[in-house]
Amino acid sequence: MIGAAFRGEMRKMWKRPATWVTLGLFSLITFADLFDEFREARKDPADPFSFPEAWVQILGEEIVIGFVFASVLLILLVAAEFSWRTARQNVIDGLSKTQWYSAKLLLLPLLTALFLGIRILVGGAMAWAGTDAANTATLFGLPQLSALGGMFLAGLGYTSLALFMATAIRNSGPAMAVWFAWFAFGERLLAGGLGSLFEGLRPVLRWLPVTTFNRLDDYIQYDPDAFRRASEWAAEHERTVPELQTLRPAILGAALWVCALTLIGWLWYRRRDL
Amino acid sequence: MTIEADTPVIQTYDLKKRYRKTPAVDGISFEVESGQVFGFLGPNGAGKTTTIGLLLGIITPTEGSFRLFGGETAADLHSARQRIGATLEHPNFYPYLSGRDNLRIVAGVKGETRNEIDRVLDVVGLGRRAKGKFKTYSLGMKQRLALAATMLGDPELIILDEPANGLDPEGMREIREIIRELGQRGKTIFLSSHLLSEVERTCTHVAIIQQGRIVKQDSIVDVTSHGVAGLRSADLNGLESAVAEYPAARWSRRRGDRVVAELDDGDLGALNAWLAGRGIHVSHLSLEARTLEDAFMEATGATETTEAGEAPTGRAGTDGRSEHRMGEVP
Repeated sequence: MIGAAFRGEMRKMWKRPATWVTLGLFSLITFADLFDEFREARKDPADPFSFPEAWVQILGEEIVIGFVFASVLLILLVAAEFSWRTARQNVIDGLSKTQWYSAKLLLLPLLTALFLGIRILVGGAMAWAGTDAANTATLFGLPQLSALGGMFLAGLGYTSLALFMATAIRNSGPAMAVWFAWFAFGERLLAGGLGSLFEGLRPVLRWLPVTTFNRLDDYIQYDPDAFRRASEWAAEHERTVPELQTLRPAILGAALWVCALTLIGWLWYRRRDL
Repeated sequence: MTIEADTPVIQTYDLKKRYRKTPAVDGISFEVESGQVFGFLGPNGAGKTTTIGLLLGIITPTEGSFRLFGGETAADLHSARQRIGATLEHPNFYPYLSGRDNLRIVAGVKGETRNEIDRVLDVVGLGRRAKGKFKTYSLGMKQRLALAATMLGDPELIILDEPANGLDPEGMREIREIIRELGQRGKTIFLSSHLLSEVERTCTHVAIIQQGRIVKQDSIVDVTSHGVAGLRSADLNGLESAVAEYPAARWSRRRGDRVVAELDDGDLGALNAWLAGRGIHVSHLSLEARTLEDAFMEATGATETTEAGEAPTGRAGTDGRSEHRMGEVP
């Protein structure tokens, strides 16, 4: 049954214009962003846009834009089911509430992988063009695998927050607005406000969801070579030298947030009438 | 879940649903036996849709319980849904998908094949428009698609919530034919409607719901088998008020150019003598069949119904009869 439900999700996603609009728009933004890097690199042979150095740009902080798009698409796909009453009809037709929610849960890794994949595909193609054929052994290694894993988890975090908003608010527009407000400034305002009122809370407030997911978005934390290059560049240009973080607590924190958000979303969804 | 042959398909026990302090369904109990075409009749806001929502498990009851195919646990309800085809309120589909794609989604859940989709599309006459997007459909086409979706997988119980809403008289007739045919094939049908004539012409049994309570339930034959007195007079207003005062009259009302009344004793001669004693001369007096509308008036204590099928506000049915809609009952 869950297989049928997921195939249904695929069909709905494939035929939904919003899917192609978000994917197209993100591809365009990614292309514009990386092509700029690519063009600049061609002017300066000392700083080529090629593997493995190009991973810093490909998996740079701009990847968060992909997770924003993934979250927006997820909200559009899930929350609309409540407006159209198809969430209710799906259950009447024979899906259990658990199966319905599980099919939506499967969209989280799918959308995260899709938007992460677009960034890698577009950036990878450009970097490949600039990479010496004899140098392909350094294309992809453990640092890149770790970075992808961490960023995938971060993507799951943002989309699980989106799923929570979609099932709790049950309306695309307000759910997107609340998600974006929380992502862009809500969490920072809350942390700032509470932190100034209750100083003892500050260490806890560093573990709010978006702050936690953000820690996993920094590629140089996964790649010692890239970290060294970034530190040297910062020292050379009298900028703040980056700090090497221990990622394990952030990974654990993000994983806990993903579990908590999807679980609370599920309980909330199950408790309410359709 | 094993079901004995004589187990009712639907059983409800003092089922209640309150929204804050407002009761939507206020302690209803009824049974629907296998093979019945059960009309659930009531004005808008009477609690019909809430009752169906409760039966389908998408609304949680405040009190009371129900059984579908004899089972009452959550697991029973889930397996019962595999044997049910149902629509609730409006046809609920994905607007950007075609009719066929929408049915594919439903068929996937029900484990049905492409042939089955073609079959139900043909039954409701949507085969040619199956590729059109749902959002481009007229309300009538949407209702047909919803009916097609309920028929997917040949379910044992079909629950329809106001299936004639938005249909023109021809569409209503076609839907009625489909429901009749399903009933003849032995399907159990639970039909919620506020159209008296639709229920009377389609159903074998009826429950009348008013303000969240069932005020009458019986077979259509029993409801309509009692005779009522039909009277005509030159002074119709005088006749109407006199009959209303007649001690043995359970109820009375005007029906077209005559007055009808149900009598405790059924004695037409005594009624005629009583009217003559009051100076009312009756030009016509006969025993007539009681209609579902009469039963509704008696059960709800209503004095009139809004008759959309009759002049000046009405719409005539295609077979010459009128579609009677119930207005708000005082």
